[in-house]
Amino acid sequence: MIRRLGTGLVVLWAAATASYVALLLAPGDTVDILVGDGPDTPEIRARIVAEWGLDRPEIVQYLSYLWRLLHGDLGRSYQAQRGVGEILAGQVGPTAQLTLAAAGTGVLLAGVIALATAGRGRWARGVASAAELVAVSVPPFLIGIVLLSVFSFTLGWFPVSGAQGPRALVLPALALGLPIAGVLGQVLRGGLEHALEQPFAVTARARGLTERALVARHALRHALIPAVTLAGWFTGTLLGGAVITEILFGRPGLGQVAMQAVTGRDMPVVMAVVLLSAVVYVAISTLLDLAYRAIDPRIRT
Amino acid sequence: MRRPVRRRAPAALSAAVLLAALTGCGATAAEQAAPATLTWAVETQPITLNPQQWSQNKTRLLVFNQFDALLSKAEDGTYHPWLATSWTVSDDGLTYTLDLREDVTFHDGATFDAASVKANLDQFLVPGYNPAVAAIQLRSFGRAEVVAPYRLRITLKEPDGLFLDFLASPYAGQVSPESLKSAKDLKFGGPDLVGTGPFILDRYVQGQEIHYRRNPAYRWPPAGAAHQGPAHLAELTYRFLPEAAVRVGALTSGQVQVIEGVPATEVALIEKDPSLALRTSLNSGTAYYYYFNTSHPPFDDKRVRQAFREAVDLDAVLRSVYRGTATRAWSVVGRRSPFYDASLENSFGGDVAKANALLDAAGWTGRDAEGYRVKDGRRLTVREVASAPYVRDRRDVLAQAIQAQVKQNAGIDFQVRIVDQGSAQRALDEDEYELFGNSRGDADAGAALNLILPAKAAINRTRFADPRVDKWLADASASSDQAARKKLYARAQRAVVAEHAVVFPIYVPADQVAASRDVQGLGFEPASGTPASAYDVRIGT
Repeated sequence: MIRRLGTGLVVLWAAATASYVALLLAPGDTVDILVGDGPDTPEIRARIVAEWGLDRPEIVQYLSYLWRLLHGDLGRSYQAQRGVGEILAGQVGPTAQLTLAAAGTGVLLAGVIALATAGRGRWARGVASAAELVAVSVPPFLIGIVLLSVFSFTLGWFPVSGAQGPRALVLPALALGLPIAGVLGQVLRGGLEHALEQPFAVTARARGLTERALVARHALRHALIPAVTLAGWFTGTLLGGAVITEILFGRPGLGQVAMQAVTGRDMPVVMAVVLLSAVVYVAISTLLDLAYRAIDPRIRT
Repeated sequence: MRRPVRRRAPAALSAAVLLAALTGCGATAAEQAAPATLTWAVETQPITLNPQQWSQNKTRLLVFNQFDALLSKAEDGTYHPWLATSWTVSDDGLTYTLDLREDVTFHDGATFDAASVKANLDQFLVPGYNPAVAAIQLRSFGRAEVVAPYRLRITLKEPDGLFLDFLASPYAGQVSPESLKSAKDLKFGGPDLVGTGPFILDRYVQGQEIHYRRNPAYRWPPAGAAHQGPAHLAELTYRFLPEAAVRVGALTSGQVQVIEGVPATEVALIEKDPSLALRTSLNSGTAYYYYFNTSHPPFDDKRVRQAFREAVDLDAVLRSVYRGTATRAWSVVGRRSPFYDASLENSFGGDVAKANALLDAAGWTGRDAEGYRVKDGRRLTVREVASAPYVRDRRDVLAQAIQAQVKQNAGIDFQVRIVDQGSAQRALDEDEYELFGNSRGDADAGAALNLILPAKAAINRTRFADPRVDKWLADASASSDQAARKKLYARAQRAVVAEHAVVFPIYVPADQVAASRDVQGLGFEPASGTPASAYDVRIGT
């Protein structure tokens, strides 16, 4: 566990440094970004350089950046001129809500569909995999627009925007969760069907185990391993998809903050979001390790 | 860092219609029954809510809900009372004496007086507070003195005809001096930066919404307001919906009552819907136009600059890109500004034969395998560099349409590059561009011209210098005589548009607001042409 923690810290330091170097290598200097497309006079530039401490050597700026990070100080946003930590603090909650709801929706839908169709007739399988294919291949943006048009603008069942109450979470969670359900459903069904053809399944059936009990007690365990591996991939999809989903639905969250920061080249915010993603990634992969151990006894030591 | 964020230009709408929208409901305003709440979907999130840090044209409508300026400005460029009841300017143009309203209180209960105005002005002198405003709009500011509780004397270092424009701008939004000291995030503003406006900001959720409640004590609207006393609406929510299709859907399904930023593709839909009303206003400031970089070939040759303008059938381009909702520009100055020089109309553009004759005369006579003109083995290539965050109104599509026209009509290779802000800035600094497109939202077009046209101007992207233009603009800036300024600005416009052809005016940006029919009193700010605050807005018939 201590080794894992050490690896995690190295990953975080690498992420912090990589984003810092990327900033250095990016075209145009920081002063240009702070000036924006407004009046650009030597006087204004001099004031900005002094205010942001941009006249110090780059290595000094890098070390002081790391030093501040160690103290939990994420710096100040160029655009909003507020503390980055404060900007992110209000946004983590809504994004966590959205991504968890989306992941839950995806896993639940995939599980239900896979269990209902694995090893069943060609017709049921065909419909399910066609639906999964659509969910995977249609961009979340389009799914979101369609969901909004039908369930919000036409039927009026759900509000278009905001993070007030669970009702406002339904459509965004669906828009973000459907592609996950698509991929996961296919993998899970494939795994289940593969497991059901294994010798142990034949043995179990011979012992008089019902098909239902076989799937639930034995096959599912085998099918889960590749599905759990995919969870790492979800993390990326969810964070990326959250950007589009949050903007489309007018929800607060890290996605729209990241989007604004990238288009405005607000580097302190961009770097903080990168770091946060790294933290989440490290946390998720640790949890996955634990999950493997729970699912597959062979990994336990 | 001013960021005029603006929309597509509409079919010309007369000022009379706009005025009717602004004032038409005055008579019935008092009869309104219960105070109401309103939700308004906006496209752009404010970068800051501090009026003195204001930088986005699109957030003017938020600023003046919470804050009042010292003066107000009418569409004809004249100034009127707001928190200042009267003002005098000394003959040498150096001393401004303001008399202030004596019945105004800030939302935190503090009294508004000469001392608070002085505190607001002095705040700009704090290093790093707003370097751009300190160096541009307030460069002539000397000092402010309290001569009586409600009388303030401001001394300038040099005469500045645009100082009144500053006093009527969001920068002169009056903030309670106590909150200037205590606000947690001074530069960002937010609920703990306190104003005197008709609404009190009580909630800001980044990425979601901004919520105001009515200021019950309010009775100091600017001259020209449709009613007196507190605002009609008890509560007001601006919801951020960046996606245009979602804004329109939210409006048509009744989830919001007002939207701004109506895309050209949806205009017909909204006009057909009897329960909705669309209002449009041209913006003030400068038109959207291409700057020709005159510092190196090929645009150091006036004939090539003229040829580029003649090679484009702009009316056809605007029709196809904006579906007939754009207003063609003929000058640097927007059509809505009192300084607009109408004599430039129909003076250039769309003559393909002339374009080709000009290029032949300029020596671009050869053609390469792809049909582009060549001279001394070099292709007639011009590059536009644009910073992605500032590309709006589908200006990327517009550029592609123009690209196709100049290629087909005159053999010009027009390359469009949309890059990040840093790369764009570097290209500009290193003179690695031939074309640059921009528009500015300044309420006083003269302020924009000062930043663009003089040889040493802060954003002189044409790199063109004409001492006469510099002199006219300097004289106009120093004068507060509107008629004299108009004459000087007309000369400057004719010099850069007609005489030297250093710019290519394209369209006049505009704002569109669509609303449910029962929302009354929506209007546009007379000086800027951007959506006005919600002070006069009410629900009812």
